[in-house]
Amino acid sequence: MEALSYLKHFKEVAEHEIMHSGHVACPGCGAAIAMRLALKTLGRDTMLIIPACCWAVIDGPFPYSACSVPVYQTAFETASITAGAVRAGLDATGKKGINVVAWAGDGGTFDIGFGQLSACAERNDNIIYVCYDNEAYMNTGIQRSSATPWGAWTSTTPGSDYKKERKKNLLEIMAAHRIPYAASTTVAYPDDLVLKFRKAMSIEGFRLIHIFSPCPPGHKALEKNSILEARYAVESRVFPLYEVEDGTKYTLSMDPPTRPVADYLDLQGRFRHLNKKERSFIQQAVDEEWTRLMHRMRIDEAL
Amino acid sequence: MAQKPIIYKSWREMPLMTASMGDTTINKTGSWRNVEPHHVEQVPPCSFRCPAGNDVVSFVTLAAEGRLEDAWRVLAQTTPFPGTCGRVCPHPCETECNRAQFGEAINIHSIERYIGDLFRDNPPELKRPPYTGKHIAVIGSGPAGLSCAYQLKMMGNAVTVFEAHSKPGGMLRVGIPDYRLPPDVLDGEIRRIVDMGVEILTDHRVGVDVSFQKLMDKFDAVFVAVGFTNSRPLGAEGDDGDDVIPGIEVLRRINLGMKDGVGDKPLVVGGGNTAMDVARSLLRNGRDVSVIYRRTRHEMPAITEEIEELIEEGIEITFLATPVEVIRENGRMTGVKCIRMKLGEPDDSGRRRPVPIEGSEYIIKADCVVTAIGETTDLTFLPDEILAKTSWNIPADELGRTLFSKMYAGGDVADGAGTVTAAIGYGRRAAIAIDASLRGEAIPENAAVSPSLRDRTGYVVPFEEINLAYFEELPRLEPVPLEIEPRIKTYDEVRQGFSEEDLTREARRCFSCGTCPACDNCFIFCPDVAVIKVKDDPDKFYIVDTEYCKGCGLCAAECPRSCIVMKSVR
Repeated sequence: MEALSYLKHFKEVAEHEIMHSGHVACPGCGAAIAMRLALKTLGRDTMLIIPACCWAVIDGPFPYSACSVPVYQTAFETASITAGAVRAGLDATGKKGINVVAWAGDGGTFDIGFGQLSACAERNDNIIYVCYDNEAYMNTGIQRSSATPWGAWTSTTPGSDYKKERKKNLLEIMAAHRIPYAASTTVAYPDDLVLKFRKAMSIEGFRLIHIFSPCPPGHKALEKNSILEARYAVESRVFPLYEVEDGTKYTLSMDPPTRPVADYLDLQGRFRHLNKKERSFIQQAVDEEWTRLMHRMRIDEAL
Repeated sequence: MAQKPIIYKSWREMPLMTASMGDTTINKTGSWRNVEPHHVEQVPPCSFRCPAGNDVVSFVTLAAEGRLEDAWRVLAQTTPFPGTCGRVCPHPCETECNRAQFGEAINIHSIERYIGDLFRDNPPELKRPPYTGKHIAVIGSGPAGLSCAYQLKMMGNAVTVFEAHSKPGGMLRVGIPDYRLPPDVLDGEIRRIVDMGVEILTDHRVGVDVSFQKLMDKFDAVFVAVGFTNSRPLGAEGDDGDDVIPGIEVLRRINLGMKDGVGDKPLVVGGGNTAMDVARSLLRNGRDVSVIYRRTRHEMPAITEEIEELIEEGIEITFLATPVEVIRENGRMTGVKCIRMKLGEPDDSGRRRPVPIEGSEYIIKADCVVTAIGETTDLTFLPDEILAKTSWNIPADELGRTLFSKMYAGGDVADGAGTVTAAIGYGRRAAIAIDASLRGEAIPENAAVSPSLRDRTGYVVPFEEINLAYFEELPRLEPVPLEIEPRIKTYDEVRQGFSEEDLTREARRCFSCGTCPACDNCFIFCPDVAVIKVKDDPDKFYIVDTEYCKGCGLCAAECPRSCIVMKSVR
């Protein structure tokens, strides 16, 4: 994938709409854009399994739904296993060509659904697991999750008690399960997102797509800056876009023009309390992670 | 189709499990917003600066798409001289181009030149309204006169142009050397005007062959565009001999195929375009030419590229000096006594005034002086009562209206702007005013800009509003000019044009500031599916679904070129 081609015209995005207006996502919601682009790619032969998360609310109150595909709402920790069960049911009734998609937030993925996620990945259940990651329990009032980055304010890590732990590296954990496909993407690069969904659809087994989705109220950012924030996350290497096939084959999707992490932090109120030293610590950590990722990409060559 | 409300009167009507029975379009989230996006077309800085009012972004983006005939039609709205302007205009559009701050300015003039040349000999048909029955006289067939004639003809009037010289074109013909503007380019573009039905009477000097008063009596309106015809005198001792020749006279002789009448070692005085043109022409005629200018290169009014090319060609410019006396022996010039200057306080033009340094006189060898220190008008053809109300120029407003009814003026004779493009713009504005007044209609607002730009907001898009994430930093493409050695011996065109491949590549670099090319960013990034693509409407690509738009402003932030503005909801 040539990096710059994403930036000119988004040729891969389909025109038809599967998601409807009238959903109740906040203005500027990254997760809503993620769902819209994902459904455009997945098509109508898709079943969504949504646990407790923002999207459980966004989809709308009974008896309405924003997604004109079957949506099954399930308990917080059971998105992956329910999806696996739906697939088993489809297989038992001989129905083919249907995308079974678990669509969970970072809380349901990194924390509460983590055990089931690992189990499903280990069994290689034939589903696409999507984690739209807004880096906290946004829907219940911005509580910290294990996806919240170091240094961020949340309502459970307020003031000087800002989060002092690192964000879990989901893609590494899932790659360690040796699942056929794991990829990171974000809403600022629609072509990248679409191509990764397409690739996931072409593969059988457990596939995971990790989407960075800015949340204006939770990140204390301007609504109009959601895409900019996602773009800066990639350009500052806070959220690298790459894919891992069979747990070992790493491909970098985009080698962005480097941007200081400060540009990314400045867009968000949740990092406002950080002093210079703390900000440079984040920069250092990001640089280290990037170097580590670059080394990991080349491991196969060394072997 | 929005969802109808689903109402259950009792639990018995409900499905057995809480399944969705309809979609969320029931929920009009448009009530959430306090700002809303509006798709607008704003003014790109290139068009804003174009003295001819060309719709630059439109013809450049059409060229990028390969729709060259449509691009030509955009240009044909405002100028009959795209091939000429693409060569001789100092292109202020490129100076203002927002691309200049990311990569380099778009090579607009080469794109215009390519489009002009492509359709010069077989121009596409243009629709014209029926004949109005009005007949207008235009005095002078320079860029202002012919632009006015062209526009008047396009509006359905009959036009007769009176030209004193044997060939039409005015300064384009007699003032610009062939190596900058090849005669076949000019001939072709004038032929198109003639083919449209404009009558051009050459060798008709108003005031000699026909009186001005007769034109005023016979025609419905008269447009005076006689331009600059006279050189300012040198103002040095002994400047009244035959060996002190006005630069525009030398250019006229060369361009009309006559002997230039200049000695072997001429000294050209001045720093404007005429000085550059005459010096480079004389170099091509085999003369040992040099230039003297009383200020520094920084203050030279000539087009930068012309100065650079002149220096490249090996012509020496003496700065900060001016002639004070012509020295002759036995009636033949042997040299020019010059005095050195230094720069003093700024004058009215904002440039620093040159002040002579006393006792610094020295002699430059020369057998002939060519003056190019500015031109002025010759208004002696006007009747006395009109002449009494003129100064160096004919006072006229920006629509060419003078103090006298039926009489209009434009181009250098009115504003002395001194560029082809300014004259083209002036001619077009005057044509709009003349046509409206003859029809008894109101003159449209924004007459100065291309008709395709009139509906835009008046806001000129600044560089800061371009979203650079959607553009690559690419260098400007520039055609390679002729090699210096062969070019200084001939009048072959120095600057070359684009190939078709380079044309498209260069045109694709355009930001298209304020002009929506339907890039779909607003459509793709809308979280609320509230930007809807419009099919079958050439003027509008998107509408905002106000029932659902929550006013997040992502579309405006991600618009690469400032085509969406957020406005408060009333």
